[in-house]
Amino acid sequence: MKLGATATRAGRRFISSLPALFGVVVFTFLLMRVLPGDPAVFFASGPQAGPEEIAMIRKQMGLDKPVPQQLLLYLGDLSQGNLGRSLTTGQPVLADLRNRLPASLELTLTALLIALLTAVPLGIAAALRPGSAVDHLVRFICALGVCVPTFVSGLLLIYVFYYLLGLAPDPTGRIDIFLSQPPRITGFLLIDFALAGDWEGWSAAARQLVLPALTMALFVVAPLARMTRASMLASLGSDFIRTAKSLGLSSRKIIVTYALRNAILPVLTIAGIVFSTMLGANVLVEKVFSWPGVASYALDALLSSDYAPVQGFVLLMAAIFVFVNLTVDVLYGIADPRVSVE
Amino acid sequence: MTFHRTALLSLFLASAALPALAQTRAETLRHVTGASINTLDPNMPGSTREAFGLSLLTYDRLVSFGRKQLDGNWVFDLDTIRGELAERFDVSPDGLKITFHLRKDAKFHDGTPVTAEDVKWSMDRAVTARSLAAGQLLTGSITKADQFRIVDTHTVELTLPQPDKLALPNLATVYPVIFNSRLAKSKATAEDPWAQEWLKANTAGSGAYIIESFKAGETTILRRNEDWKRGPGNSQAHFKRIITQTIPEASTRANLVERGDADIVIDLQAVDAADLERKGKLKVISTPQYNAITFVSFNNQMPPFDKVGVRRAIAAALPYEDMFKAALFERGKRLYGATWADGKAPTGDTFPIVQPLKTNLAEAKRLLTEAGFPDGFSTTFSFNVGQAGTAEPMAALLKESLEKIGIKVDIQKLPDAQMSTLINEKKVPFFTEGIVAWLPSMDYFYRNFYIGPIRWNYSSLNDPKLTELAQAARFEGDKAKYAAYGLQLNTMHYELMPQIPLWQPSQDAVMAPSIEGYTYQFHRQIDFRDLSRK
Amino acid sequence: MTFLGSSATLRHTVWVLRGNPVTAVAAAGAFILCLLAIIGPSIVPYDPIASNVANALKPPSAQHWAGTDQLGRDVFSRLVVAARLDLAIALSAVSLSFAMGAVIGAICGYMGGRIDRYVGRFVDILMAFPLFVLAMAMVAALGNRVENIVIATAIINLPFYIRFARAEVNVRRNAGWVEAARASGDSHLSVILRFLLPNVLPAMAVQVSLNLGWAILNAAGLSFIGLGVKPPTPEWGIMVAEGARFIATGKWWLVAFPGLALMLTVLCFNLLGDGLRDILDPRMRT
Repeated sequence: MKLGATATRAGRRFISSLPALFGVVVFTFLLMRVLPGDPAVFFASGPQAGPEEIAMIRKQMGLDKPVPQQLLLYLGDLSQGNLGRSLTTGQPVLADLRNRLPASLELTLTALLIALLTAVPLGIAAALRPGSAVDHLVRFICALGVCVPTFVSGLLLIYVFYYLLGLAPDPTGRIDIFLSQPPRITGFLLIDFALAGDWEGWSAAARQLVLPALTMALFVVAPLARMTRASMLASLGSDFIRTAKSLGLSSRKIIVTYALRNAILPVLTIAGIVFSTMLGANVLVEKVFSWPGVASYALDALLSSDYAPVQGFVLLMAAIFVFVNLTVDVLYGIADPRVSVE
Repeated sequence: MTFHRTALLSLFLASAALPALAQTRAETLRHVTGASINTLDPNMPGSTREAFGLSLLTYDRLVSFGRKQLDGNWVFDLDTIRGELAERFDVSPDGLKITFHLRKDAKFHDGTPVTAEDVKWSMDRAVTARSLAAGQLLTGSITKADQFRIVDTHTVELTLPQPDKLALPNLATVYPVIFNSRLAKSKATAEDPWAQEWLKANTAGSGAYIIESFKAGETTILRRNEDWKRGPGNSQAHFKRIITQTIPEASTRANLVERGDADIVIDLQAVDAADLERKGKLKVISTPQYNAITFVSFNNQMPPFDKVGVRRAIAAALPYEDMFKAALFERGKRLYGATWADGKAPTGDTFPIVQPLKTNLAEAKRLLTEAGFPDGFSTTFSFNVGQAGTAEPMAALLKESLEKIGIKVDIQKLPDAQMSTLINEKKVPFFTEGIVAWLPSMDYFYRNFYIGPIRWNYSSLNDPKLTELAQAARFEGDKAKYAAYGLQLNTMHYELMPQIPLWQPSQDAVMAPSIEGYTYQFHRQIDFRDLSRK
Repeated sequence: MTFLGSSATLRHTVWVLRGNPVTAVAAAGAFILCLLAIIGPSIVPYDPIASNVANALKPPSAQHWAGTDQLGRDVFSRLVVAARLDLAIALSAVSLSFAMGAVIGAICGYMGGRIDRYVGRFVDILMAFPLFVLAMAMVAALGNRVENIVIATAIINLPFYIRFARAEVNVRRNAGWVEAARASGDSHLSVILRFLLPNVLPAMAVQVSLNLGWAILNAAGLSFIGLGVKPPTPEWGIMVAEGARFIATGKWWLVAFPGLALMLTVLCFNLLGDGLRDILDPRMRT
């Protein structure tokens, strides 16, 4: 009964998010056409880069038709799962995204995990003694994390840990180039290595992950810790905690079992939002660490006015955004039956 | 004692295990670059320079460039053409027929022997398919399929409409690669008779290296073709494996090569190259790109730059030396600061030549007043984001200096695609750009960069006399007469000042000290077949 | 209850500041920044744009406190002068999205119905975009001028303000005092402007402070990929981005000082925002 209601609710939410996805597709399509750069000219690098070669590339990209017709054709292609071809890599966009998405996801999830493991304890510590020195310190640490641009913290981490100290592996992507890749099952190196039982490879891949994930995590500790603190405060102030206290339960038990369990739900909601933002916003981290993810792919394409990859990337990000929100919603519904069925 | 022995033993074990690993590392060359490869067929419209670089390794051509020493560095030599798939070639006395005798031992990667039929098919493809090759080959009078004739299985004959100095060099460029015609034809379709779609993602060549793995925008791993013995003295390529990785951050590339994790890199920032050279741990070969020029350019059709006086005034006002220091850290060859006896060019057989340009603000002010702008004017100066590293300091200095003669400059930094679009539409009044000629002969520069409504005619020059002289020089066989044409052209260039040549930036190849044989190549990529490790 | 109006609020403010020295320090920092933005250009020791190539890339010294850059310009002077532009970009971007967001959100929350649904859809679309890429695309499309950086930053912030204002107005639209105002003959517009918005603004103002820092970082990120303000205008983001090129050669001052300026500014605004929230949000009082 309850599950059925949740499913209905999820289905309804999904359908209601479709217009937004459609809007994203159309808006991106038009935005790319407004860009003053003509990709056909940019890629016309031949010795006689005259009108003829440009016309040739324009035809190859389907840009010789009027924009409304291009849009219809694009939507038609989309419905068949064809996202077009990238001129920057020469590959179909769908294949590129499929190859690169696991890299971005693995990095983002690791960063989110690091951030949560840091933020939740910090938030709890702050909530236990609001207004104390600990509270201020936590606030300060969090504020510190968000005030350095990611490209600066990334470059500095590389300079110190790779160049000066030699502790980190060379920042050249997901794995040491001289190690062999695991058989591709999920595309997540950590999982694939584990499945293959290659623990040497696993630790190599994990080492590559540390610096970029840290760089990203620094930036999202603050909202997570802030949310943990607020929701812990609310939870600690509620009646059942007062009851538990009056019953003489140990404070450890109260905090961990009762207060935290109730406080963690809003934190996970925020984590969902943070996750989808991070995935789209880690452009610069991927760039700095030569991480072969989807965001740096879109950046390169954008700077050369290569339409198809940017459109594909934005659509992918929007779809993930919708999916994550939906998941959070469903989880919420399961965890807290009080959430109304709209 | 026991401890000691165990320690020794483990030491022994370690050293026994290490050589194998060290050996594979020694046989592998790891190259890092900021850019990426977008096609395996260099003829595809939109190919990147790195894709050109790759095709030189995976495919063979009929002929290739020799090399020469220039100011102590090895560079490609336009004037020595040696056989690659052709064992030798004969040029008829009238210069109209070139006969190529193919090597009989050459095989494609799949083991099929290379025959005249493959050459014919590949050349037909080059001149007829809608690709980049046709536009290049016509600069060497190669335009039609029927110019190529199969004489026998291992002999092909090329007929030219007139003797052309650039016919053979054109065949050494990246486009006219020899495909395995049987394989390619099997992948052709009715609407794609030249298998262009398939060849974008696959190779059908006979080159020194075979692609082991290719991830666009990430890594390319090449394996040596053991059957390829077309190096100097019929040798194989030295390195068993070549790994090329895309590392977007220039400072990271510098770190990688400095720490020995990468073996070679050619696209560092000037400041990093200078620093690594100063530290002295690595081999830094700095070659001025003698087939490239960086310009400050004007659209000669757009007021006020349609006035030669304005162009010359600006040429007199640029702070050349400061720009060279701040933008390039003096890594390159200056194209300013010469003294010409009577305002006439001293030489005519080459272009570019060092110009008699000096910073002289009083002279600039005088020229500007004479041109009718005593109070100066306002304009924009554009460059693209991709070259911001050098163009930004340059633009700031230019702005400062021009302000002193009353010209107000607003700097525009444009995304690369936008800049090329505007330039192509001839809408940018004042900007900086660079040019590169694969075949750097004097007339080639004038013909390809100063004539017609093409993208590379940055200055939008349309001067009938210059056009006529350049076309006449093209087919002039007599060296003295050719130089006479050049003398006139070079002098005209200075007098008209369609754009201001600044310098030839260096290509800084930074490599492990053990790497040898580096040669600066026409396509400004590393030809890995040249390299070896001591 | 108007913004920092009554003496009770003032007393509360003083009380919070006393208990929260971090906020006090942040407020002082923000004040100094604003002061620098106003008088900076007239107190710097060097012309921030004048080059001197002979003196390029010199480390910090008594003459040049923060060293010199690639063109021999004084980094310290450039930093101080840049404060004005950076604050201006951040302030105008955030106030733009604040103003637009508050008005649109309030109208939606108050009117409900079709307008609300349409705007809601638009907000959904914006929210689903990868924001930094959207900002990049907008700046690239409009041209990289200061105004466009401001507009792009404002737009990607907009959904947040619209939602916030909408939610706050929505819960109040049927409150007794709103009904009373309507009954006494006030038009819808005047109800929104005179009664609802003033009640929503304080809570939104907290977000402004937090967002200021974020807007500065956003502009810096745009500079890093080459879509920032025009050279040779001094701006922290572009200085950091340029300085980052010199990391490998150990010219640390080029990235360290602008980075520090950026960091301290963002830190000030963030801490101030946190503090403001404590002052304005009674629920957080402990």
